[in-house]
Amino acid sequence: MSALLEVDGLEVDYGTARALDGADLRVAAGEAVGVVGESGSGKSTLGAAIGRLLPRQAVVAAGTVRVAGEPVLDLPPAALRRLRRQRLGFVFQDPIASLDPTMRVGAQLRLVLRAHGRDGRESPGGRDGGRGGADVAFHLARVKLDDPRVAAAYPHQLSGGMAQRVAIALAMAASPELLVADEPTASLDSQVREEVLNVVFALARQAGTSIVWLSHDLPAVARRCDRVAVMYAGRVVESGPAADVLGDPVHPYTAALARSAPAVAVPGVRLEPVPGRPPVLTGPSPGCAFAPRCPFAEDRCATERPEPVRVGAKDVLCHRAAELEVIA
Amino acid sequence: MRLLLWWAGRALSSAVTLLGISVLIFAALRLMPGGFAETILGPFATPAQKAELAARYGLDQSVFAQYGHWLAAVGTGDFGTSMISRQPVAAELWARLPVTGRLTLFAVAAAVLAGVPLGVLTALRARPGGGGAAGRLLSGLGVSVPEFALGSLVVFVVSRYGLQTSGYLLPAAVLSIFAISATARTTRDAVLNVLVEPHVTAAVARGETPWFIVRHHILRNAAGPVLTLTAYLLGGALIVEYLFNLPGIGSYVVQAVGRRDYAVVQAGVLLAATVFIVMNVLIDLLVGLVDPRLGRRA
Repeated sequence: MSALLEVDGLEVDYGTARALDGADLRVAAGEAVGVVGESGSGKSTLGAAIGRLLPRQAVVAAGTVRVAGEPVLDLPPAALRRLRRQRLGFVFQDPIASLDPTMRVGAQLRLVLRAHGRDGRESPGGRDGGRGGADVAFHLARVKLDDPRVAAAYPHQLSGGMAQRVAIALAMAASPELLVADEPTASLDSQVREEVLNVVFALARQAGTSIVWLSHDLPAVARRCDRVAVMYAGRVVESGPAADVLGDPVHPYTAALARSAPAVAVPGVRLEPVPGRPPVLTGPSPGCAFAPRCPFAEDRCATERPEPVRVGAKDVLCHRAAELEVIA
Repeated sequence: MRLLLWWAGRALSSAVTLLGISVLIFAALRLMPGGFAETILGPFATPAQKAELAARYGLDQSVFAQYGHWLAAVGTGDFGTSMISRQPVAAELWARLPVTGRLTLFAVAAAVLAGVPLGVLTALRARPGGGGAAGRLLSGLGVSVPEFALGSLVVFVVSRYGLQTSGYLLPAAVLSIFAISATARTTRDAVLNVLVEPHVTAAVARGETPWFIVRHHILRNAAGPVLTLTAYLLGGALIVEYLFNLPGIGSYVVQAVGRRDYAVVQAGVLLAATVFIVMNVLIDLLVGLVDPRLGRRA
């Protein structure tokens, strides 16, 4: 069976800066995948590329993105819009800004539901013919917004958590096959975070929607996702089952990242920051981009680009993956 | 209650502004070289003749006394009589209002019907680093060439070749060029600002069509600056009608300045200021309705 999402060798440049340097990602139907990496590792570019939502100045230098077999980057406009409407859903970082400030929440939801009606797709929960009032209430209740005042509110009158739940309701209204959530909780406080994530994952499970969750919160990703992909300098350096990747990392960068996460720290043991800084690429990296910071780097790491190596259930982008697996 | 207070505040500040404008125009008229008597009687009039004329119109009193009389009369709705035509100023202005109104309405209509769509289209077609330059140059020219320059040029060319300059067509065209350029430019910038907002990306991500997004998510968001601009379209008509010799309020007041017809200039300027202030209040109200975030600030 082919995967729902297949990203192969994707390279994206912003002017002279390279955001993606040959990224690969696979997501199966119904699966939740966490994409983890530091700021600037290319997570957001990867997420945007899935829906061809890259900013205008972005240039795709190489690679393909397929959603349900359709080549996202080569589709004509009408087919691309149909793909976005029927198969994809997006949730963004800044919840209040991602809602139209001039429209009440209920009106925005009605507008989205109407668009799906035109596609001849039944959205779950309501078939009250024309007005869509019951539909709006249903879709808001699905994201645990039961207060009738929410539908009548403007986005700036909502809290960040409420606004993000509205955005989730909008994205999930059409029961997409794949939901891309780009740090959906980054701007929320920690208490609200869990509630919002609960809503996302419960809705997705119910609808059979796959999730690509872009995050830098390693432990949170490990708790909720089936698989994890770790990004570094525009490439996915290690991917596999969540427990394997975080509990038994092979790639030196993943290992360093796992050791630096505060939540997994044993009290009394110092956190180990990853030494050095992530690189800013201006073109394809000649070798492994992590080599300058890597304690295990050899000569060839600086000159030869590593190809994915299968280690157990994981794909690892490291010349020394096999040896390091033994060490770990 | 808060709304009532807001209205009261606006009314009060408007009144203060109008009062300030009346003082300024009163002072400016009196400071102009050559008073009413000199202008009417010509350079060879004797001082006695001048004094007699000045006394007849109360111009021999102190400026403060004159202002006091005038303000008291305005308070009762009496804007005085023209010192040239001996007609009540209010009636004269009222008779000329349709000409100015028609021109202004035409400019606003041109701005809305041509300027807004042009602005939206050029914004949607804009690509970083290319295109749009020609449009920007054209609209830049349209905005920066003043109406009196363009209007004079048109009058010169048309009369040079013996064509008809009367009628509304030419002045309306001159006025529209400015209105359309200014509106297209403002609309373009406003739309470009909205286009990069995350909620537009979110709409694109939902697979909505460009036209749907413009209609539902961009026009309202971009309306604020464009609405604000319409207040500035009002002034243009006054200059253009003078150039093309249309009997509107602008040409009437400009003539009155030349003849030192104080009462007419004072009433005309006050009228223009009142219209401008009322328009601004209305537009603020409209902008608040269109964008609820701004309405809350009131």
